[in-house]
Amino acid sequence: MAELTYREAVAAGIAQEMRRDERVVFLGEDVAAAGGVFKATVGLLDEFGPVRVKDTPISEQAILGAAMGAAMTGLRPIAEIMFSDFLAVCWDIVANEIAKSRYMTNGQIECPLVIRTANGGGSRFGAQHSQSVENWAMAVPGIKVVAPSTAADVKGLLAAAVRDPDPVLFFEHKSLYATKGEVPDGEHVDTLGTAKVLRQGGDVTILALAAMVPRALSAAEILQSEHGISATVVDIRSLVPLDTQTILSEVVRTGRAVTVEENPRLCGWGAEIASIIADECFYDLDGPVIRITTPHIPLPSADRLEDLAMPSVGRIVETIRTRVD
Amino acid sequence: MDIVMPQLGETVAEGTLTVWHRKPGERVESGDVLFEVETDKVDTEVPAPAAGILSEILVPEGETVAVGTRIGTLQADGEEASAPAAKNETTAVRIAEKVDASPAMAERAEAAAPPLSPVVRRLLAENGLSPSDITGTGSGGRIKKTDVQAHIAATAAAAASPSAGGRPDRDIVPFGKIRKRTAEHMVMSKATSPHVLQAVEADFHRVAAARAALGDDWKTREGYTLTWLPFVAHAVCRAIADYPHVNASVDGDALVVWRDVHLGIAVDLGPGGLVVPVIRSARGRSVADLARAIHDLAERSRKDALTADDVTGGTYTISNSGAFGTMITAPVINQPQVAILSTDGISKKPVVIESPAGDSIAIRPVGVLAQSFDHRAIDGAYSAAFLKRVKELIEYNDWVTAFD
Repeated sequence: MAELTYREAVAAGIAQEMRRDERVVFLGEDVAAAGGVFKATVGLLDEFGPVRVKDTPISEQAILGAAMGAAMTGLRPIAEIMFSDFLAVCWDIVANEIAKSRYMTNGQIECPLVIRTANGGGSRFGAQHSQSVENWAMAVPGIKVVAPSTAADVKGLLAAAVRDPDPVLFFEHKSLYATKGEVPDGEHVDTLGTAKVLRQGGDVTILALAAMVPRALSAAEILQSEHGISATVVDIRSLVPLDTQTILSEVVRTGRAVTVEENPRLCGWGAEIASIIADECFYDLDGPVIRITTPHIPLPSADRLEDLAMPSVGRIVETIRTRVD
Repeated sequence: MDIVMPQLGETVAEGTLTVWHRKPGERVESGDVLFEVETDKVDTEVPAPAAGILSEILVPEGETVAVGTRIGTLQADGEEASAPAAKNETTAVRIAEKVDASPAMAERAEAAAPPLSPVVRRLLAENGLSPSDITGTGSGGRIKKTDVQAHIAATAAAAASPSAGGRPDRDIVPFGKIRKRTAEHMVMSKATSPHVLQAVEADFHRVAAARAALGDDWKTREGYTLTWLPFVAHAVCRAIADYPHVNASVDGDALVVWRDVHLGIAVDLGPGGLVVPVIRSARGRSVADLARAIHDLAERSRKDALTADDVTGGTYTISNSGAFGTMITAPVINQPQVAILSTDGISKKPVVIESPAGDSIAIRPVGVLAQSFDHRAIDGAYSAAFLKRVKELIEYNDWVTAFD
């Protein structure tokens, strides 16, 4: 085991797959010579050269158009969209082309590509560079949606995404890039569509994703030590496919479910999970499903307002303490 | 407005209405004590939620009801007039009303039982439980999933402890009707009467002589063995004539001394339990007569053919464990009687015989007669004198002559 930062795990995951498979190529804005604006792809140009690691013009449509064409013609491209907010610029290619190519060609054309992108708030980047848009991607049939919370999961799930025969939207969280974690040595490949139970408690099940996972864990510690409430924390990890088996069994065990979502409230991923819970295990519920989300607002750039808007450890503790009774 | 049994403490599920401070139709001001409630934890005076007329009382004083139960109705001042009109009034008016009504609304909100969650409803239904079986630990006394699970676990543990899981280490034998009533009666008797046990040893050689002389003929004629018991019953009936206070009942501060002896005979039914049929007017009957009566009752007991009259109205009881060779049994009084005699095993023993020619040792059939008496009714000396009289009768009666 080696301790890597979340950003180092990105480069490690890409490198692992590029070494394994010559068809894997990597492209994006400032990803090669500069090593990425978040320094998540440092060293890849040196190891794999300018043919397989490419800097592109500032055009998200060009990046994804090229990646889609490469994928359709036999390569396994990894494309970076610098901020996930910019997916809106190239959403036609994502939602109408990449997501539907296999279906509309009756399986004659595969589109095995990975779109990596820096998602989420907490870094004072303002309303156009801080959004959590994983729920956008979740709403489009034909795309797999992954959002890891640890360095190990970044490497393992990125490798799994590259090896998947279909398009995967891979949401890295920009406020997690500096966090460190143990990553298995050697080849590390995880499984898409699997949630992870990080701790088990008897009173309430907290479902969290990406940057909300460490906050949920901290909240669970406080709930246990200060309020005697023992919480299960599940890292959802993958929105599509969704590991409903793990999620539902953990919810059934405690009878209470709380989602912690960074996306704005309306149609956040927690709404879909709450709906599945209500449908599949209503008679095991011991109280309403509670969603802790960012309010339905553009994320403020002012420090204090941004901190207020996003679900904090304090808000998670307080909400669960008062509402899970 | 409805008045409901308030939630007095988080874990309190019910309360006893002890006092109504108003009669139906009487006026009460907001905040005046309207009624009092007693729970297992506290006694509380409950104020009227609003001023008005107590229009009806649904739960009378002394009755215990679950929290949230409607116990009466208060016709609050202006209640009927304002409630329907409120819908069309301005916000300001409605807010004003809300402020006015807030104590009542708070009371109602507090008192109403919190709703049951889906899993709690399911667990209650699956386990045949009612919400009133469970103590809710959630906010406002809400029953949580864990409360139901804890209740089920506690019930299961009580039924199955100490072995947890695996092969059952016991068989559960549910109490039948007789067993249940016996259990209740025994506990009641011990709780009611201070029992004192006294015993005498009696020499049964004259009874043995009578049985030897008459027994074979009896067996041929009647079809069953002539036992020791009718002789003892006969002696007891005669001794009661001298010591009537053992043939009695306690009624308040008085002893009710019965003039007739209705003699109960405890009959063992094996696994079925124990019944005590009664020989009516046993005094004055011959031994043969008593023997037939005892046999008849025992037979009908075993055939489950006793009538209600057969098992009621006893004034004194004899319990016989002699067949098993026991030495002494401390019987439990058959309420509302005040004494019970146990006859145990009769066996041959060396006995010192005193005579003017000097003491000698003889082999005699000897048995213990043990009486439990209610010390409220009689004292040790009286009981001892009664036992001595029974012993004398057993030992000196000419049983062959007294038989028919």
